[in-house]
Amino acid sequence: MPKIKQAGDLETLQRKIRKAQKKFPKTITICGGTGCQASKAGEVIEKIREVIPKQAFGKDVYIRSTGCHGFCEQGPIMVLEPGNILYCHVTTEDIEEIVAKTIRRGEVIERLLYTDPVSGNKKVKEKDIPFYLAQDRRLLNYNRLVDPGNIDDYIAIGGYMALAKTLGSIKPEAVIEEINASGLRGRGGGGFPTGHKWTECREEPVDEKYVICNADEGDPGAYMDRCLLEGNPHLVIEGLLIGAWAVGARQGYIYVRKEYPLAVKNAKFAIEQARKYGLLGENIFGSGFSFDLEVARGGGAFVCGESTALMASVEGKVGEPRPKDIHTAKEGLWNKPTVLNNVETWANVPSIMLNGASWFAAKGTQGSKGTKIFALTGQVKNTGLVEVAMGTSLHNIVFDIGGGSKNGKAIKAVQTGGPSGGCLPASHFQLPVDFDTLSAAGSMMGSGGMVVMDEGTCMVDVAKYFLNFLQDESCGKCVPCRLGVERMLEIVTDITEGRGTAEHINLLEDLAETVGETSLCGLGKTAPNPVLSTLRYFQDEYMAHINEKHCPAGVCKALIQYAVAAEKCNGCGSCKRACPHGAITGEKKQVHVIDFEACRKCGICIGECKPGAIMVN
Amino acid sequence: MSSTNLETILEGRRSQPHQLIEVLQDVQDVYGYIPKDVMGTVAKELGVPLMEVFRAARFYKAFTLKPRGKNVITICTGTACHVRGSNLLIDQVQGQLRVKPGDTTADGLFTVECVNCVGACALGPVVVQNGSYSNHMTPGKLRKAIDKVKREKKEESPHA
Amino acid sequence: MLEEVTLTIDDVLVKAVKGLSVLDAAIKSGICIPHLCHVPFLSDIGACRLCIVENVGNGKAKITTSCTLRVQEGMVIRANSEKVLKLRKNIAELLVAHAPNSRAIQDIAVRCGVKEVRYPFHNADCVLCGRCVRYCSEMWQANAIGFVGRGKDRHVEYPFGKRPDTCKKCNSCILYCPMSVTPCGEVMKTGEEHLCGKCDSQMTMAEKMPGACVWCETGKSFQCARYA
Repeated sequence: MPKIKQAGDLETLQRKIRKAQKKFPKTITICGGTGCQASKAGEVIEKIREVIPKQAFGKDVYIRSTGCHGFCEQGPIMVLEPGNILYCHVTTEDIEEIVAKTIRRGEVIERLLYTDPVSGNKKVKEKDIPFYLAQDRRLLNYNRLVDPGNIDDYIAIGGYMALAKTLGSIKPEAVIEEINASGLRGRGGGGFPTGHKWTECREEPVDEKYVICNADEGDPGAYMDRCLLEGNPHLVIEGLLIGAWAVGARQGYIYVRKEYPLAVKNAKFAIEQARKYGLLGENIFGSGFSFDLEVARGGGAFVCGESTALMASVEGKVGEPRPKDIHTAKEGLWNKPTVLNNVETWANVPSIMLNGASWFAAKGTQGSKGTKIFALTGQVKNTGLVEVAMGTSLHNIVFDIGGGSKNGKAIKAVQTGGPSGGCLPASHFQLPVDFDTLSAAGSMMGSGGMVVMDEGTCMVDVAKYFLNFLQDESCGKCVPCRLGVERMLEIVTDITEGRGTAEHINLLEDLAETVGETSLCGLGKTAPNPVLSTLRYFQDEYMAHINEKHCPAGVCKALIQYAVAAEKCNGCGSCKRACPHGAITGEKKQVHVIDFEACRKCGICIGECKPGAIMVN
Repeated sequence: MSSTNLETILEGRRSQPHQLIEVLQDVQDVYGYIPKDVMGTVAKELGVPLMEVFRAARFYKAFTLKPRGKNVITICTGTACHVRGSNLLIDQVQGQLRVKPGDTTADGLFTVECVNCVGACALGPVVVQNGSYSNHMTPGKLRKAIDKVKREKKEESPHA
Repeated sequence: MLEEVTLTIDDVLVKAVKGLSVLDAAIKSGICIPHLCHVPFLSDIGACRLCIVENVGNGKAKITTSCTLRVQEGMVIRANSEKVLKLRKNIAELLVAHAPNSRAIQDIAVRCGVKEVRYPFHNADCVLCGRCVRYCSEMWQANAIGFVGRGKDRHVEYPFGKRPDTCKKCNSCILYCPMSVTPCGEVMKTGEEHLCGKCDSQMTMAEKMPGACVWCETGKSFQCARYA
């Protein structure tokens, strides 16, 4: 790999790569992201790589395995050019047919096409898929074009040109001006103006500075950062390089949570490749600017997504947050000025420098510029990653892009912002999604996790779930978080088990204020949000649990019974055989009966019952 | 053998206290847990008080102080998986294997863990078995998967 | 010549050396802000949250711990506003509900105005104030004990549960521990925990002189004998 010593070298290399790519009239793109790997995409990729070279036209075909496309439920996904044909749920059994029909003759295989769950129509081309069409995939689109293990792919689509332009002709202060003008705000959940943070760091009269990429993505239900870092690590690296130039840092870290092994692997490999090309290291592009990156792995602690805890972890210590009376931009890693930004924030930087602040700010709202990636999951038809302009309404995302309810049950709420966020009811879906509007309504946009809940979800149980999560992940240092969350969980558990009283609601609200106002770090400060938002919008569910000892959604085990509906039972006995607790009795072809005492409400019998005769009361 | 492994892990990192977490990560990957004597060596070689090494090993969920079972079953308990019934998976595995999440069965065959989101949220509920992901899991499917491992173990040693 | 700054705490002008914490500055000036984990010669970690104050500026009043906040020229601090008193009382209530078997914690609860405990009592033997841990690591560099585990599991322990050779057997960890003195009366057995506040004089004093600690002179927090 020849070193790129100046901008001209990059342009030459780009031309060379593009020319080489044009030599292949056919391309097969297969998504190899974590989601598709769970659907055995790895085997599909292996089989294709085995079968294609044996074909007569083998040398005409370029096989590219990419990172996550964000449409995980349809995986493994395969896109074939020419024709832009998209196949979903591809298995190794389909490969022979795909090679013989589509690749050799351009013939489309109907059964492998995507079926739009709303209209019922099949779509041939990737670009006609409604899920994609409704989005504004400024960042996500790159993932389809790039093999994360091949830096040449990234260079072919214009990679590192923003860096070349920046190092060649834009002074650090001017870079920060551009970022300020774009209105870019932190995508990790805090929404702090990125330009301000960089300015604070730059102004420190200290020689040793750092930039950090926060890829800890601990919010359960959020995987935007996994997708970006796994699928297009060079985009993030380029962003970090530009940021380091702007603030004066010479060393950076990408902190990746351990639960993302593929992202760790791809980031490390990408750094090595960038070093080989001279894009990381000494005297980059002959500008005199030197910068290097390292990957630091998380140890399985949600609290390490908090900036001071993350930095403690990089310093080799226990991930306990410390008071932030002084910003980390002034005193951060090893008490030196440090800019810590989220993966998606860094990923937006190259395109801002290449296309300009006004291009970026053309999308979005007054206070929230640009696009945002959301992880739309839960009880909707189309789950996956959704990138839209800020200001798009919840309704648009859940119904137009998400396709509405998955099971036919009415959609009740959407949970955003992870454990720091809250639940908003369907009546509020007209609200635009941006940094400020959702916060005003008692929730928070957060890092992008969006879990859709239907009538089958108990909102008190949701509050309990998040409190349990926070108690597990709390570092335990400060009293309000450690003892306050414990007491909130105690109370909500009482409510879900039929021991709730009206006074509990007042106590919860009082506790929520104390924990929220006095906790040491963001984890504690936002811990009351799930409880407060569910209390605000779903108080009727709380009151049903308290006054009637009834769980309307049929979830809280202490308040429900499983029973066999006699009129639907056909006596097949599947439930009896499957029950691990011996709670079901009945003769063949006779109505079966569940013993309430022995029943643990594990749900196995419901899964086995074909006539759907087992009811939850 | 073990001392060479540790040698490799400590190479280039001696007297660098900030390497503690990375070193422990490598120890966990290689040994499958953090042995007591290894902690002592790490403390000495990196120049970190033993108390701090012990604290780090007990703070981060990625590290275990006891060896894990042959089959590590990790149940994702992220929000999306929870909403799709991951609780039922935990109940199932507790009932079938009689261990709580975080523990290992007496025969050393299974370790059950819960993890707060593996990032495959669209495909939940997700269970990871020894690094292999399974999606859309149900209590029934999980039960069968565990039974399969038990059967295969029995077939391996029919005279047991 | 050390640089001095002037700040306002509860409408009182206070002069303090730059680098001092707001809590230290307050105590030096005879303004008592309740605290538990603060010990004058040990580092401040802001763990107990009792010393919270409002830092007023830019039209906002930010709640922060006074032990970790460094004094600055012109700072306006409210240590006893209605909001701060309420929050502080709630924190003290959480503490006493968790570990009532300590004279110090009971005193702090009374001092902070706790009149009833709305949670079922636990009977914990540690409030994780960290005095013992910090003493051991900062005064002796012995690092014989430390905080182990996370969240609910967090507790103080020797490495592997065995007292190491680095332990100097100085007993400071016990001397500085707020749990080492039982409430006046007797040890509270499980099921018998209650909010003490038995002494009428204590309650009256706390109500009539909110600026004074119940048992101690200003700045010495609980039980003067606990540290000289």
